[in-house]
Amino acid sequence: MTDRSPLLFLLFAGPVRLAGRLIPVLIALALVVVANLPISFTGGLLPAPVLALAAIYFWALARPALMPPYAVLVIGLAEDLVSGGPPGLWATGFLAGYVLIDRQRKNLGELNGPGNLVAFTGVMLISAITAYVLASAIYMRLLPLPPLLLEGIVTVALYPLLERPLDWADRSITRFLRSG
Amino acid sequence: MFGPGWKWARGRGTKQLPIVVCAVVALGTAVLGRAHAPIFDTARAAISDWTAPALDTLRGPLTSIQGWAAGFGGIFTTYSDNAELRRENAELHKWQQVALSLEDRLRGYQQLLNAVPDEKTPFITARVIGESSRPFVKTLILNAGSVQGVDKGQAVVDERGLLGRIYVTGEKTSWVILLTDLNSRVPVVVEPSHRRAILVGDNTPAPQLELDVGEGPIRPGDRVISTGDGGLLPPDVPIGVVTGTGTAARVVLFATSSTADAVNILDYRVPNPPTAPEPVAAASASSRLAVGSTAPPVPAIAPVAPDTRDIPEELDR
Repeated sequence: MTDRSPLLFLLFAGPVRLAGRLIPVLIALALVVVANLPISFTGGLLPAPVLALAAIYFWALARPALMPPYAVLVIGLAEDLVSGGPPGLWATGFLAGYVLIDRQRKNLGELNGPGNLVAFTGVMLISAITAYVLASAIYMRLLPLPPLLLEGIVTVALYPLLERPLDWADRSITRFLRSG
Repeated sequence: MFGPGWKWARGRGTKQLPIVVCAVVALGTAVLGRAHAPIFDTARAAISDWTAPALDTLRGPLTSIQGWAAGFGGIFTTYSDNAELRRENAELHKWQQVALSLEDRLRGYQQLLNAVPDEKTPFITARVIGESSRPFVKTLILNAGSVQGVDKGQAVVDERGLLGRIYVTGEKTSWVILLTDLNSRVPVVVEPSHRRAILVGDNTPAPQLELDVGEGPIRPGDRVISTGDGGLLPPDVPIGVVTGTGTAARVVLFATSSTADAVNILDYRVPNPPTAPEPVAAASASSRLAVGSTAPPVPAIAPVAPDTRDIPEELDR
């Protein structure tokens, strides 16, 4: 960096670095949009998955600096807004899952393969339970559990498919930030 | 996997502050969303208005693929389906003759009685451009909004029956709260007992039937139709059939969102009650009252009390 013009650095390097740092959040927001495309690929048979949670889990473990709680809040609010559900529901759910990741980062970081999937299932469960409790409080009655369980199962089933592209994106970010 | 090494990491002072702040904001949003839903509804309507062209483009090919996939499964049952359809067709021909005969007779009675014919409800035809089926919300997005005259609360039907009601309107799109949604509560009548009930959505495919006032048995297979009570929905729109009895009674809906494509948005207005000519004295008194009064305006469907002012005392019993 030292051999480059300081003016160019001030003009471009800062914004480029910032953009690089925002990529995980942007990918999570893109997943919010994809999961909430108001089109059912299964003819309404299966609910849409909570894909953004996969991105939150992945980067909260791999690069906590790129997935701070504020970002999780924004992603959760975006999920609430686009899905049409009560606002604040998934924002709170995602944050509950984030707390679990934050507290168990050391242990969860050592897992891979099936262990990692089990850990993601735990995070999904915490998020879903929090959202369920909050939704029941908002509607002032106990809501049916099966649709939420089905949504959790679909999300967990899709996580292994998402893990590889997320890993690829993470390595690209690393290269991008180092080159910047 | 979760051996003795697994410990719950303790909070580290101010480092935990962001999580606490975010949690408070998230919970505050939930409370605010409950108290002031229009803020978020406006944002949703703006998003759907903005994305409507893309959704419309995407939905076309996907609906075709879905139809093709559904048709592919039917190849193996074509013979039995055909036989069943022939049998049903023969039976429906018989019922068609009965219906035509009854329609003629009804028209004759209406002419004899000089009955006021039912008003046709104006409607707007729209296409479904999106569907959201999440654990806490069941909605459809339509490609008609306030520009086309769509308004909050209007009933949405397809050729089979009632689908739901409009709950958010953008300029070019509107969102439908389906009968199966948690927030849906619709007054209905169960036929043939004419018992009033409330159809309560709980995010399952068959909403609950909460029986209201009145008596009369409710049996599985009874028809459920809408009622004009409260002026929310037009009366007599088919909804579904009862399954189960008592507190376990539910309604299997005629119209389902997964197969809805073109729908009608009914612009139903409660007909104004007929106004009888008022005596001059009474009219001037009421106009005086209206000028100086701060009383709220009379609602459009206020119950009309019998007017006994001009009835002679000996007849007023």
